[in-house]
Amino acid sequence: MGEKIISIEDLGKSFGDHEVLRKIDFSVEKGEVICILGPSGSGKSTLLRCINRLEHQTSGKIIYHGTPVKDGQREVNEFRSKVGMVFQSFNLFNNMTVLKNCMAGTRKVLHISKEEAFDRAITHLKAVGMAPFINAYPSQLSGGQKQRVAIARALCMNPEVLLFDEPTSALDPEMVGEVLNVMKELAKTGLTMIIVTHEMGFARDVSTRTIFMDKGYIVEDDAPSRLFTNPKNPRTREFLSRFIEG
Amino acid sequence: MTSGILASATPTSAVGWMMFIAKKYSNLFIQGTLITLYVAVVGTIVGFILGYLIGIIEDIKINKEDNIIKKILVRILKIISMIYVELFRGTPMIVQGMIVYYGLRQGGCEITSVAAGILVTVLNTGAYMSETVRAGIKSIDVGQREGALALGMSPMLTMFTVILPQAFKNIIPEMANTFLTNLKMTSVLNVIGVSELFMMAKTAGGTYYKYFESYLVIAVIYLVLCFFFNRVFLLIEKKMATKSDYVLAVEYMDNQ
Repeated sequence: MGEKIISIEDLGKSFGDHEVLRKIDFSVEKGEVICILGPSGSGKSTLLRCINRLEHQTSGKIIYHGTPVKDGQREVNEFRSKVGMVFQSFNLFNNMTVLKNCMAGTRKVLHISKEEAFDRAITHLKAVGMAPFINAYPSQLSGGQKQRVAIARALCMNPEVLLFDEPTSALDPEMVGEVLNVMKELAKTGLTMIIVTHEMGFARDVSTRTIFMDKGYIVEDDAPSRLFTNPKNPRTREFLSRFIEG
Repeated sequence: MTSGILASATPTSAVGWMMFIAKKYSNLFIQGTLITLYVAVVGTIVGFILGYLIGIIEDIKINKEDNIIKKILVRILKIISMIYVELFRGTPMIVQGMIVYYGLRQGGCEITSVAAGILVTVLNTGAYMSETVRAGIKSIDVGQREGALALGMSPMLTMFTVILPQAFKNIIPEMANTFLTNLKMTSVLNVIGVSELFMMAKTAGGTYYKYFESYLVIAVIYLVLCFFFNRVFLLIEKKMATKSDYVLAVEYMDNQ
């Protein structure tokens, strides 16, 4: 495939004595859709948070286009503006309308013109079907609508990679579908995505690569066709057994 | 009650005396009200700014990976704000007034009593306000902060565009409280010679030895002022509340 965007080398993270991530090694190439599966507490979310520097790793490196991401606030800010993140709890700004939410980053971080920021916001809000709600405040929206706005907000930054941290875990079953559909469409456009999820069907159908994590380790990293039908590791098999039988 | 020379003009009831004193010394009371308002308004506004500053400093997190200069600078700022807040929350305003006024004068600074009064009000308000601001900042969920950081906003930009506007709204009632407290607390500033309402009442009451009635007059003035400002703050709070409805942008409806 294409060039490597992000490489993670020997990444470790501990909270006190508790080791959450151990010896994580993998890289993300342009256009890949990587789903990360695993039981709760396996370190999936922490891994994503380390990638966009909301957590600081204890050891190892995160390499972006061949150079390690530096610790300085300015470097971190710039890196984050290129690596978008969608959260489990949406994290929209409650003091701003849908439109302002989508324009905050482009205006205040990328410093693009008002007109261009508006156009970008409308384009991406249309793509997620939320354009009619530009005047609404987050508190006036349903969970699924909030998450779709959050995705549009992240897209407005034209990110190279978009990270999803369990984007559907806080939604009721009806709303899960509307968000997953948006993400499916995104995958088709060739956007590079890393998705932490519990939606097995989605991971199998949409990802180009699936990673299974357990106890802080990457247990298996393979194409979904192989990982879902013929997992090599017994722990992966055990985790997927319920899904494969069902 | 009715002594010789004053007999014809003097009122006989407490209410009568109140009216009499209020009318006779209306200039004093008006002037006192203005000084009280001046000290309270300026002191509170500048105090709020100071409070926000200290509250923000207290909220800055020192990360392990920050550079050493930033770490030291932030640490020093935090220690200074901590000492300041402890000092001013731990001593009575009346004592602070004395120390600031006489301290500055003794040190050769010819500060007027009104300026000293405002300074004390500012420092006092700032100390209390910083805690209110801290609570207001804490009332905004961490998620919104992370959402802003993930867009590439710096911690300070996040503070000013996302956190503070919401924290501000949440602490309006407490800010109103602080202002009303200040309005009344300016009365202690008479000890350093600020000619606010309390001092005026003392002066007005002294002539006829009618202190009870004279203080009743300013009690009514304080009450009216507080009532008025309370309504104003309620109105501001109402105006700033999020509207419950919004207009659908129909021009984009066909895209659904």
